[in-house]
Amino acid sequence: MTPESTSDAVTPLLKIGGFTKRFADVVANDDVGFDVRAGEVHALVGENGAGKSTLLKMIYGVYTPDSGWMLVEDHEATPGSPAEARALGIGMVFQDLRLVPALTVTENIALAMDTGWNLKLDALATRVSDASQRFGLGVDPAALVRHLSIGERQRVEILKVLMTGAKLVILDEPTSVLAPQEVDALLGVVRHLRDQGLGIVIVTHKLREVRAIADRVTVLRGGKTVLVGATPGDYTDDELIEAMVGRSVPPLIALRDAVDTAVPPALLMEGVSANSDRGHQALTSVTLRVYPGELVGVAGVAGSGQRELCEVAMGLRDASAGTISVSGSPVTNPKTAATAGAVCVPEDPVADSVVSRLSVLEHMPLDGRPIPASGLGVAWALIRRRTDEANAKLGLRMAPKHRKLSELSGGNIQRVILTRELALDSTLVVAAYPSRGLDAANVRRTQEVLLEARSRGAGVLMVSEDLDELMSMADRIVVMHDGHISGEVPAAAFDRQRLGQLMVEGVS
Amino acid sequence: MSAPTDVMVAEPQAPDPAPAAPARDERWLRAGKLAVRWIAAILGAMIIFSVLVSFQGANPLEVFADMWVSTFQRPRSLTEIFIRMAPITLAALAVVLPARAGMMNVGGEGQVIVGAVGAAGVGLAFDQTLPGGLVMVLMAVGAIVAGAAWAGIAALLRLVFNVNEAVTTLLLNFVALDLLLFLIYQPWRESAAAQPSTREVAVAAQLPTLGSTGVTVGIIVAVAAVIVLGWALTRTRWGYRLGVVGGNPEAARRAAMPVTMLLLSALLVGGALAGLAGWIELSAVELKLRPGFGTQIGYIGFLASWLARHRPLPVLVASFVLAALSVAADSLQLDSGLPASTINILTALLLVAVLGWTTMKGKKT
Repeated sequence: MTPESTSDAVTPLLKIGGFTKRFADVVANDDVGFDVRAGEVHALVGENGAGKSTLLKMIYGVYTPDSGWMLVEDHEATPGSPAEARALGIGMVFQDLRLVPALTVTENIALAMDTGWNLKLDALATRVSDASQRFGLGVDPAALVRHLSIGERQRVEILKVLMTGAKLVILDEPTSVLAPQEVDALLGVVRHLRDQGLGIVIVTHKLREVRAIADRVTVLRGGKTVLVGATPGDYTDDELIEAMVGRSVPPLIALRDAVDTAVPPALLMEGVSANSDRGHQALTSVTLRVYPGELVGVAGVAGSGQRELCEVAMGLRDASAGTISVSGSPVTNPKTAATAGAVCVPEDPVADSVVSRLSVLEHMPLDGRPIPASGLGVAWALIRRRTDEANAKLGLRMAPKHRKLSELSGGNIQRVILTRELALDSTLVVAAYPSRGLDAANVRRTQEVLLEARSRGAGVLMVSEDLDELMSMADRIVVMHDGHISGEVPAAAFDRQRLGQLMVEGVS
Repeated sequence: MSAPTDVMVAEPQAPDPAPAAPARDERWLRAGKLAVRWIAAILGAMIIFSVLVSFQGANPLEVFADMWVSTFQRPRSLTEIFIRMAPITLAALAVVLPARAGMMNVGGEGQVIVGAVGAAGVGLAFDQTLPGGLVMVLMAVGAIVAGAAWAGIAALLRLVFNVNEAVTTLLLNFVALDLLLFLIYQPWRESAAAQPSTREVAVAAQLPTLGSTGVTVGIIVAVAAVIVLGWALTRTRWGYRLGVVGGNPEAARRAAMPVTMLLLSALLVGGALAGLAGWIELSAVELKLRPGFGTQIGYIGFLASWLARHRPLPVLVASFVLAALSVAADSLQLDSGLPASTINILTALLLVAVLGWTTMKGKKT
C-alpha cells in the first residue's frame, strides 16, 4: 500500500495507514489507519485487547509493523526505536509512569534529555520552570518525585515529553489512575496543550472523557478500526459504545433488596485505626458495618486509606486501635479472617498474590483456606476439579491451568484471582478495584458475580475508582478522605457532585 | 479517510479469550536455543582459560588432555571424585533449600565445620565405649543438630531482628572457623607436642566403603538426600509452601501461611544438611579435626547450587563436575607444573559464563 495524497487543507502531524501487526496466530492490528492534526485532541478508544497498545507501540517505535506506512508531517518515516520516534517529535506518556521517585523533577527530566556528562542541573531547572509555565503544568522543578501525587507525576511526564521536543503527545490511558477532580485538571492541561498547537492522542475507554475533550475519535475493535477520525458530536453514546463493544451492553440490574440489619454484620469495624507501611497513620477511627446481603461501595481519591481498610478487614494489617470481626468472629490475622469466611481481591494482584513461576493451578490453593491434603502432599487432583468447577461457575474464562503466571497479562492475572476468590463460599467479599484491567464483557461478568455474592447473603465491600460502577451496584457508598470515612450516602441519594466533594474536601 | 464513517455494528463478539498455550515446536526451539547457549558458555570459558594457560607457558590442549586422562581414566581418580562429591552435594543442598524459600545461605562453610565439630564431639566422647555402628549414627545426629543450630543463629537474627541472612551466615563462617581452631588448640587437642588436631575417631566409627571400590557410603547418603529433598520440594505441602514463600512472601502471608515457621524450617534443614556434609568429610576423609578442615566444601557447594540453579537433581551433576575439577587441580599441579589454584580460574570462568549466558526470559501474552 502506498501513501495517498491528503485531500485535507492542513497537513497532519501524523498520518498512518495499513498498519498490520501479527503475533504468532493473533492479528493485533489489521489495516489500521488514522491521522492527527496539530492543535487537535484525537481520542483513541477501544476495549482491552482491541489493539490500542500495539498501535501506540508501532507509532512509538517499540514494534515494527508487518506492513503499512506512516507519515510525519508529510515525510515518510517509520521509527525503528523509541529514540527515533522522539527525534521525529513523537512523545509518549505511559500508563505506568516512568519516573525515579528518589530524584527531583529536574533530575528526572535530565535523564530523558541528551545532556552529555555534565547535567547542568541549574540551567535545566530554569528551563523546566519556564516550560512548566508556558504549558500551564504547574510543576516545581525542585520537588522530589516521591512527594508528588499521581496527577502531579503525570504532569511531570508530560513536561518531560514536551521538553524533549515532542509535537505529538500520546497519553496512554492517563485518567485511569486519577480521581474525578484530578481528571478535570488533566483535561484542562490537555486543552491548554492543544491551544498551543500540539497534537494530542489520548487513549481512553471512558465515553465521558471523549465527550469532554476529543475533537475527533478513532475507535478500535478486535484490531480493526471501526470509526476513523469521527466527530464525537455526530454520534450518540449508544452508538459509540456499540462501536467499541460490538453490541450494546444492557444496563446492569442491581436489585437492592432491603438489608436485614438485625443479624450480626458480615464485617464489623469499630473505631479502627491503623498505620501505613511507612508508619503514618493511614486509618483514623473507622467504624463500618457491612451486613449480609449488602454491597457497600468505598469511594475516595487514591491513597485515602482504601488499601489499609481492606487489609485491616482481612487481618493482613494490625489495627492500632479498635476491633474487627467477620460474621461475629474477631479478626486478628489472615487465618482468622479466612476461617470466618472472608475472601479478598487484592488491590495490586501482581505484588500481593502472584508467584510468577507458579502455574494458574498452583495459585488456586492460595486462598487462605487449608491446603487440600493427600498424605504429605497437595491434593492436586481435587484442586484441579475444583478449579474447573470455579471456572465454569464464574465464567471469566481463566487462562489454562498449566500456564505460568509470569506469562500472563494483567487482565488475565486479575481473572485468575477473581475466579479463585469469588468461587469460594464466603460470608464477606472484600474486593479492591475488582474490574481493573478487564475488558467490558469481563467487567460486566465480574460485577454480576459480585452481585450474586450479595444476593446469596454475603456482605460485599467494594473499592472502586469508578463512581459510575459504584453507583450502579452499591446499596451504600462510604467515602474515604485522608484515612477516615468522610461521609456515607445511601443508594437513593447517590449524587456524583456530592460524592466528589466528600472525596476531595472531606465534607459535603 | 478522516471523514466520519458509519458506525459499523458487528455481530456480538466473544470477550477477550483465554490465552492459549505456546505451541509445542516453540518450546523445542527454546530448548534448542538454551542448549546452544550452554555449549557456547562452556566453550567460551575454556577458550579464556586456554589463553591464560598459554601465558603460563603451557599448551592448553595438553592441559585439557591431561585433565581428562588423569581425572576420568585412572580408577583411583574416579574414586576420589565420588568421595569429594558427597559432602559437596550435601553442602549444595544446604543452599538449595533456603533458596527455594527466597533466602541466601552463604554459611554452608561454617555449618559444615560446626557439623564436623558436632560429629567429632560425639565421636570422641563415645567411640571407645559404644559399638561403632551406633557411634556412627550418633555422630550423624550430632552433626545434624550442630549444623541446624548454627544456621538457627542466622535464622533467629533474620526472623527477630530482620538482619539479612546472607550477611549473618557469611560472618558466622569465620566464627565457626575460630570455634574449630579453639577446640583443636585447647580442649580437644590430642597432644601438646604434636600438630594441633584432635585424635582420629575409632575405625569402627568411620564410614565404611562400598565393597572394594574405596568409595565410602557418603555418596549413598548424598544421593539419598538429593532424592528425598527433590521429592519434598516438589511433592509435599511443605515444599509447595516454601516455593510460594520464596516466590512472593506477601502472597504466602495473604494465603494465611505460617511464613516465619517456613523460613525457619528452610534454614534449619539447610543447616542440618551442611552439618551432614561435615560429618561425611570427617568420618570418610579427614578422620580428625585439624586446621584447614574441609577445604572450602561449603563454598564449593554454594557454587554447585548456583550452577544447578538451586534444583536438587542438577545439583548432583554440578557437584560431580566441581569435584572432578578439584581432582583435576591436583593432577594439574603434579603433571603440568601449573599451580593447583589454576583450576579455580576455570571453575570461576565456567560459573560466570554459565550463569551469565544461559538465563532466558519468557514473554507475556
